Amino acid sequence: MNEYLNRGIKEIITEFPEIDGILNDYEISCGPCSVGTCLLKDIVTIHRLTKDQEQELMARIAKAIHPGKDIKIPEIEKRTEVKPKEFRYAPPIKKLVDEHVLIKRWIGLIPQVVDYCDLKTEEGRQLILDGVDLIRSYADKFHHAKEEDILFKYFDENSDIIKVMYEDHTRARGYVKAVLDALDKGDETAISENLMAYRELLTEHIKKEDEILYPWMDNNLSTIQVGKLYSQFTKADKEIGFSPEKYERFIINLEEKFKQKEK
Amino acid sequence: MTQFEGCPGSQAMSFKDQDGNDADQDVGKIKSQLGQWPIQMHLISPTAPYYEGADVLLTADCVAYALGDFHREFLKGKSIAIACPKLDAEQDIYQEKIKAWFDDAKINTLTVLIMQVPCCMGLMNLVQQAAQSAERKVPTKCVVVGVQGDILQQEWVE
Repeated sequence: MNEYLNRGIKEIITEFPEIDGILNDYEISCGPCSVGTCLLKDIVTIHRLTKDQEQELMARIAKAIHPGKDIKIPEIEKRTEVKPKEFRYAPPIKKLVDEHVLIKRWIGLIPQVVDYCDLKTEEGRQLILDGVDLIRSYADKFHHAKEEDILFKYFDENSDIIKVMYEDHTRARGYVKAVLDALDKGDETAISENLMAYRELLTEHIKKEDEILYPWMDNNLSTIQVGKLYSQFTKADKEIGFSPEKYERFIINLEEKFKQKEK
Repeated sequence: MTQFEGCPGSQAMSFKDQDGNDADQDVGKIKSQLGQWPIQMHLISPTAPYYEGADVLLTADCVAYALGDFHREFLKGKSIAIACPKLDAEQDIYQEKIKAWFDDAKINTLTVLIMQVPCCMGLMNLVQQAAQSAERKVPTKCVVVGVQGDILQQEWVE
């Protein structure tokens, strides 16, 4: 059993598909992850399970890997004390969680944007350009840049979980570039496919950050680091050169527009 | 522990270890982590050099007596001020000084350590009022200490 603790989760799920379902029962969604190189032991550690939950999960995984055998469940060394799931984030982490709210509202609107999109009209083209502007300016330059340029520097950037986040950001940028290329060519199908792929990627990405990465980071930041991080975030927000409220107004107007269309 | 009725803040309690068991106590002299003087809220200047950009503790007077490992666990590397929200006079001055920490000394973080007794919450209220009137926001944490020295609650406040 010990050898599996040091293997990538995707590899384990491929060999023992039942484990995907077991992890899901503990709200651990590794199945859709694009990379899946996180080690089993790290996954168990960072999901902030109680000791009882962890033992139960490990027992079920051991049973799936070695059916019918009586396996000794290995103890996993905790890097930090596990806190209950309900807690208040430190202010800089809370800032990032709050920024996710607007991004989630945007990705919630993407199916309607795709349906509504008519590239023959100036309004249709502008809607795609405005959506891309929100992604590039708010989601990427305003939000992801704070993670990449500031937050991730406080941790080991070579750790699997942070590498996954970088990879997600890169893939998201690829989808957005493809949307703009398709807009130039007037290819509605490609716009739709790439926006929907972006939506799927970001939905999983935000879930990973809100449920795993941020709580884990929050737990490992010292009080002094929280203060420094908050100052750096505040400085970065001041220097961004645009008002994030502009994008909130865009979302409010778009939500209102689609609501009117449904009536 | 024996308890008597009365105001929770001044309620008489005794929780001396009946067995006299001190097996888990450190031996030898423990170095003080205090790095400044003065510390009483009426006496301090909020813009003294040791507050500039510092991680500051605002501690209710009783906390350091209740917390066995106060110096190493909380005071180390931080600047401090102490106050009693129940007994101290002219607390509006405290509010101004806390605001000056935020805006003028540009402190990095503020950790407010209070006892579990209800009157101690007055210190946290004072901080929240000062924070609202300040232009600059500072990450602020509230730590509630039990009368027997255990940490009952520790969280960042809005």
